[in-house]
Amino acid sequence: MTGESSTPQAIEVEGLEKRYGDFLAVRELSFSISAGEVVGLLGPNGAGKTTTMRILTGFISATNGVARIAGHDIFTDALNAKRCVGYLPETPPLYPEMTPKSYVDFVAKLKDVPRTKRKDAVEHALSRCGLIEVRNREIRQLSKGFRQRVGLAQAIVHEPAVLILDEPTVGLDPIQIREIRALIEELAETGRQTVILSTHILAEVEAICQRVILIDRGRKVLDQPLSELIGGGQSLEEVFTQVMTRDEIHEDTEDAA
Amino acid sequence: MKHIGTIASRELKSLFVSPVAYVVLTLWSVIAGTFFLASLLGFNERLLRAQQLQAYQAMSEMNLNDHLIEPFIGSMWVILLFLLPAITMGLVASEKANGTDELLLTSPLSIWDIVFGKFLAGTGFVTLMTVIVAFFPAILFYYGDPELGKTLAGLLALLLVSISYVAIGIFASSVTRNQLIAFVLTLVMLLVIGMMLPFIVDISLSGSAPSSDAGFAEAVRWLSTGNHIDRMLQGLIDTSDLAYYAITSAGFLLLAKTVIESSRWR
Repeated sequence: MTGESSTPQAIEVEGLEKRYGDFLAVRELSFSISAGEVVGLLGPNGAGKTTTMRILTGFISATNGVARIAGHDIFTDALNAKRCVGYLPETPPLYPEMTPKSYVDFVAKLKDVPRTKRKDAVEHALSRCGLIEVRNREIRQLSKGFRQRVGLAQAIVHEPAVLILDEPTVGLDPIQIREIRALIEELAETGRQTVILSTHILAEVEAICQRVILIDRGRKVLDQPLSELIGGGQSLEEVFTQVMTRDEIHEDTEDAA
Repeated sequence: MKHIGTIASRELKSLFVSPVAYVVLTLWSVIAGTFFLASLLGFNERLLRAQQLQAYQAMSEMNLNDHLIEPFIGSMWVILLFLLPAITMGLVASEKANGTDELLLTSPLSIWDIVFGKFLAGTGFVTLMTVIVAFFPAILFYYGDPELGKTLAGLLALLLVSISYVAIGIFASSVTRNQLIAFVLTLVMLLVIGMMLPFIVDISLSGSAPSSDAGFAEAVRWLSTGNHIDRMLQGLIDTSDLAYYAITSAGFLLLAKTVIESSRWR
């Protein structure tokens, strides 16, 4: 039903299912995200967040269902769909022996950034992520925060319509978290990019997301704008605890919080 | 297919900032020098002995190509079996270990781009190894007059066999994320394909009637590198041998591509 609109949604997912042997990692997952939205994908560990993101980026295939990025089917029109996506996996995919500059340039080539615009695109991505002063150092010498930024620079170098970030602030110190968060906010505002990010940190969702999709055991259990969720005076944590309890999954609630 | 060069040049640059490339090239050069010197001294001594014994017939049959260059390149082929796995082990496995496979497979390129890019990088490296080997026969051209065509055929044999081994290495590297496992697997495969196949056939067929499995034995022998490289070292460039290298390379690259692709479905 969602596919009928004239301007395609940034992300459309219909009846997605991923099976690993007997284990259903994602089941009957459907949602659509329109251009410019910043959506938080939440859920306890093992809920299927990473699996969903990996399917959306074309890294793994789905067992069933459809996923479209900017109108391009990720399974049948993979190359065009992949061109529209910037992706930061949970561990940034870095080559430790390269410098941020050469690495981001390499990714720009992979993502089909035209030769004439490549130098500027790389400079722009490096400066947006605050990497100018370390651009010629080996990535292996950089701190975790800087590596995460290199990962982010890699994801935005081709100015993708859709940015998919898998736990972009995990393992960082509070200051680095704030910096990365500010960067994502800035990207969403100035880049008009659609952002979907997964996280455990509810404060992060409150700070930058407009909408929340909560998944648990591979199913979507909540999909609402943030303003509605915390409009009733409750904190996000309370809302989630309620939803998860209602879902009769007591054992996972601690992880979600 | 336009990303083959991108992948290959990044791979080569990374290879040359790693110690592995330099260790392999150093060992390769030192071993080549030692073998060449040994072959040269051996050749000299045999010549002297033939002179002392006034065996003019033997002397007239001795030449630089058959008695120096050919065995020299032949021994370098054996060394190659042990050194090449160190170069190819990381080609795909390290991408998985770094998590960079996630970058490559979510970028707008085909899996053939990745496989051919790696293959091209490996081919570049073994070309350099062949050039190092070529340096030694080149010295002989300064002091003597070996046959150029035969020498080049021998070097071409070494290059082609190296290239097909790169394809085998890429396949072995694609089935694991652990470089050590990739190294051992490549080494075992190269030893079996390079040297042991004929013996395996001989042993397994030793009890059976000669006629029944002759075709099979012949086919398995054809799969072994040994025969093909021997003929080419002697200066015979046969289409069947060229086809062998092409089929081996294409076959293992196809396998590697299938393995990489299948990771999406697991």
